[in-house]
Amino acid sequence: MKKKTLASLVIGLAFALSACAGQGDQTQTTDQAQDSPVTFGVIYPKTGSYAEYGRLFEQGLELAVEKVNTDGGIHGRDLKLKYFDTQSDPKQAAAVAPKLVVDPEIIVVLGDYSSSSSKAASPAFQQAGLVHYGFNNSATDFPSTGDHVWSPSFGTDSLMPVWADAIADTGAKTVSVIYIENDWGLQAYDYFADHIKTLGVEIVYTSAYPATPTDDYSPILIKARDAKADAIVQIGYAEGAQIVNTLRDTLGYKGPFYGGQRTPEFLDIAGKNAEGSILNGHFSNETTVPRVQEFLADFRAAYGVDPGDFNLSAYQAVIDLAYGINKTSPTREGVQEALQTVTDFPAYIGQADTFAFDQETRRLLDPKPGLVIVEDGEFKPYN
Amino acid sequence: MIDTLIAGLLHGNIYALIAVGMSLIFGVTHVANFAHGSIFAIGTMLGWFLGAQLGWGIIPTLAAVIVITSLLGWIISVLVVGPLAQGPPIAALLATIAVAMILDALSQVIFTPVTRKFPELLPTHNLQLGGVHFGTSSVVMLIVTIVSMAALWAFLRFGKLGQAIRATAQDSDSAKQVGIPVERIRHLSFIIASGLGGMAGIFMGLFNSTINPSTGAIAGLTAFVAATIGGLGSMPGAVLGGLLLGVTEAFGVYFLGGSYRDIIIFGALVLILLLRPAGLVGKKLAIETEPMTRTFLGGTRPIQLPWFGNLALIAGLAFIPILFGPQMGSVIAGVGTQVFAYAIAAIGLTIIAGGTGQIILGQAGAVAMGAYGSALLSVHYGWPFLVTIIAGALIAAVICSILIFPAWKLSGHYVAIATIGVGFITVALLKVLEPITRGVNGVYGIPYPAIFGLQITDIRGIYWVNLVLMGITLLLVTKIMASHLGKTISSIGADPVAAASLGIRVTGYKGLAYAISAFFAGLAGALLAHQYTYIEPGQFDLNMSTVLLAIIVLGGLRSPLGAVLGAIILLGVPELLRTIFEDITWFVSIFPHARIIVYGLTLILIIRFRPQGLFQRS
Repeated sequence: MKKKTLASLVIGLAFALSACAGQGDQTQTTDQAQDSPVTFGVIYPKTGSYAEYGRLFEQGLELAVEKVNTDGGIHGRDLKLKYFDTQSDPKQAAAVAPKLVVDPEIIVVLGDYSSSSSKAASPAFQQAGLVHYGFNNSATDFPSTGDHVWSPSFGTDSLMPVWADAIADTGAKTVSVIYIENDWGLQAYDYFADHIKTLGVEIVYTSAYPATPTDDYSPILIKARDAKADAIVQIGYAEGAQIVNTLRDTLGYKGPFYGGQRTPEFLDIAGKNAEGSILNGHFSNETTVPRVQEFLADFRAAYGVDPGDFNLSAYQAVIDLAYGINKTSPTREGVQEALQTVTDFPAYIGQADTFAFDQETRRLLDPKPGLVIVEDGEFKPYN
Repeated sequence: MIDTLIAGLLHGNIYALIAVGMSLIFGVTHVANFAHGSIFAIGTMLGWFLGAQLGWGIIPTLAAVIVITSLLGWIISVLVVGPLAQGPPIAALLATIAVAMILDALSQVIFTPVTRKFPELLPTHNLQLGGVHFGTSSVVMLIVTIVSMAALWAFLRFGKLGQAIRATAQDSDSAKQVGIPVERIRHLSFIIASGLGGMAGIFMGLFNSTINPSTGAIAGLTAFVAATIGGLGSMPGAVLGGLLLGVTEAFGVYFLGGSYRDIIIFGALVLILLLRPAGLVGKKLAIETEPMTRTFLGGTRPIQLPWFGNLALIAGLAFIPILFGPQMGSVIAGVGTQVFAYAIAAIGLTIIAGGTGQIILGQAGAVAMGAYGSALLSVHYGWPFLVTIIAGALIAAVICSILIFPAWKLSGHYVAIATIGVGFITVALLKVLEPITRGVNGVYGIPYPAIFGLQITDIRGIYWVNLVLMGITLLLVTKIMASHLGKTISSIGADPVAAASLGIRVTGYKGLAYAISAFFAGLAGALLAHQYTYIEPGQFDLNMSTVLLAIIVLGGLRSPLGAVLGAIILLGVPELLRTIFEDITWFVSIFPHARIIVYGLTLILIIRFRPQGLFQRS
């Protein structure tokens, strides 16, 4: 008998917990007063192995919210962000998505870090008519889920050819290429390889490396070095710093290296090993674009360090959404309408002044990504 | 070629130094300590903090790190592993996984997830052999590895305390009777091993130059593989295993490419377990009995609800999304769909774990097979949902049964360890078999569930689909376990020797029980695939396997109903808590880490105070 009592108790507890959750519901359904803040939802890796990017995003996002609110907010109302941790894990992104969908305050969703995690969440947003704005999702097929899924990020199809052009211009005739083994890396590699071959450059060695952090890259790097190519190219993320350090310090490689990430951490960790690396980069500290100069100054004032690409793309996402919504209405429909009709979003990243969306692909129309080169321990504009 | 050999040896040296500590703990306490990798990672971060932030030199940094990590080891031993000494080793193994979760989360909070440059406490690139530069640091590390191996070996062999340790390892009850302070010796092994682990962390930082709090995870797991290959419990074996694995990995990656790393590492593990389960150096298996039998299961019985109770439970769950209105109802449904899918896999797992007493730490592999089977059949051939999920489940049952079959000739811990390997290999195969599986690109555009042509896109609809399938799973598994087949399977768990002498073909029935478990894991994977609409191999990681096992530990290994409860508590409650408190800023900001810490603590408390689980009576 006792056991059955226990069993029913436990089940009762489960129901009670769900009931508690129900209480939260009622506070949420209160109608939005005119002075209540306009809310964007953010799905991002607060914890887990991608938490570093989550931190960089948060810095950029918060700075942008401050700027929007100082400049008068959205239709006179303050802007606020609601954060949801996914660890950039597709499982958790899919589980979190319905929460944003049913929260009436949230009018648009930003994030996630990786396209695999974003793709797992998109269907729920698409279904609900809530715009999913994947500001970091450069996988070209990311917006294919539906008409409410957009990406203002440069796709690998524009980033890689620009970069390959620059590498071919240095006079390299042969390259060793290593790339991160995930959907992004595979896609980026294909665009890179297809393009650089048309420029008459031969790829003499290729290997993927695991996307999970690895403590030793030397086995593939020894082969990349021994292929005696004119340059070694790395397509990937932050591990580029460790890779170039291993190449130069451990394996004694002296030739050109192109890769890494446009973050202060890359310069910090790779140090002089990074000198001469040309890479995709959204901006340089010597930028002459006034709005990027303002961002630089504000960022340094707020955090005491130089910003990187991830800070800026997160910042731009919030600024541009606010810009668009101010031309329509602060509702879910208003966000979609803004992305469909506004054609002069202020551009912070790349070489254009403003941008619009290709209404077919829901990606950038005529993208113009920028390049930077590491010189004297800094990112300088390339070309 | 020579460069690859040197690079492999340098890397293997790190595995060796970590493996020595793991092997020591295993030799003395028979606990596979999965928290060792976390201790090692904390050693790296502490080394960075003292060396780079405080500017300490190598000697004070080493000393301080060794003291702190030894203390941590002592705390783990006294608070967590010690009290479980009389229980089955698998309970302690699970507890150390929980400890690892807590330590990793704390390390992320304390050191923040930034990637940093490790201070050059010793020269790292001043020497050269072939085309490979290395430093005094690597030489010192090699000396430390060999000295600690030799010292521990001599100490265990000749020292008085060492003899006491070996006596404890062989038979702790007799050791106690002759006056050996068994508990203190267990603690001592944790202290020494953890100090070594912390030291290895510093050398790892020097070797790697780039660090962050999650750097240690892979090296920790690989070192465990190295210790197993060398022979758990053997010091020279740990060093040999570490160096060999480093070299094997280097040459494997050199010839096959980086994609093959997991297949090489875990393939080596499975191969060694099959050919020489005691490891290269080990003489006999350290543990001969099945870890679960007689100790964990003896006398426990799952609590069962009467038929109307089960029906009321399902009906009650079905009403929840309606009860709370469309908004909150959808939030609950979003969590509920995951809970039910995991519950289905966990219910299946009770057959093999609760029935035969085999612990499976690689069930994510079966989940992945089901997900891919169902996804590919519906995307490529347009088969209907109800057909593909069953087909996916069957594919999982067949393929995973074949992959895991050789493991049944193993016993004890080694089955659990082998299943970790099989889980990794399954997922690695999905990456490599790109023409069929689309590799790391993943499969997208998987259709939402459709029942008789009616597409279900509303999250509450998917909730009900999953709930109904969970109800059916619950019914089927309960019936199976009550049948003649179920009784036969249970007899293997209760006493494999007695079962065999009664003419029961133990290996065959284990295989059958696993096939049924894999079927339900595959079904769960298929449901997840159609709910996410996008899958890629990385989703089916060790963490998923651990969660599935934790669910049934919580609910009771033999209790299908407990699996449902475990899934609700481990997956559902944290999500609901987050929803309830989402307006309290400070709570939201610490929540992600706090959640993992609470999750780990819950597991430890359950294992410690209610090892039979919540839904089983003793």
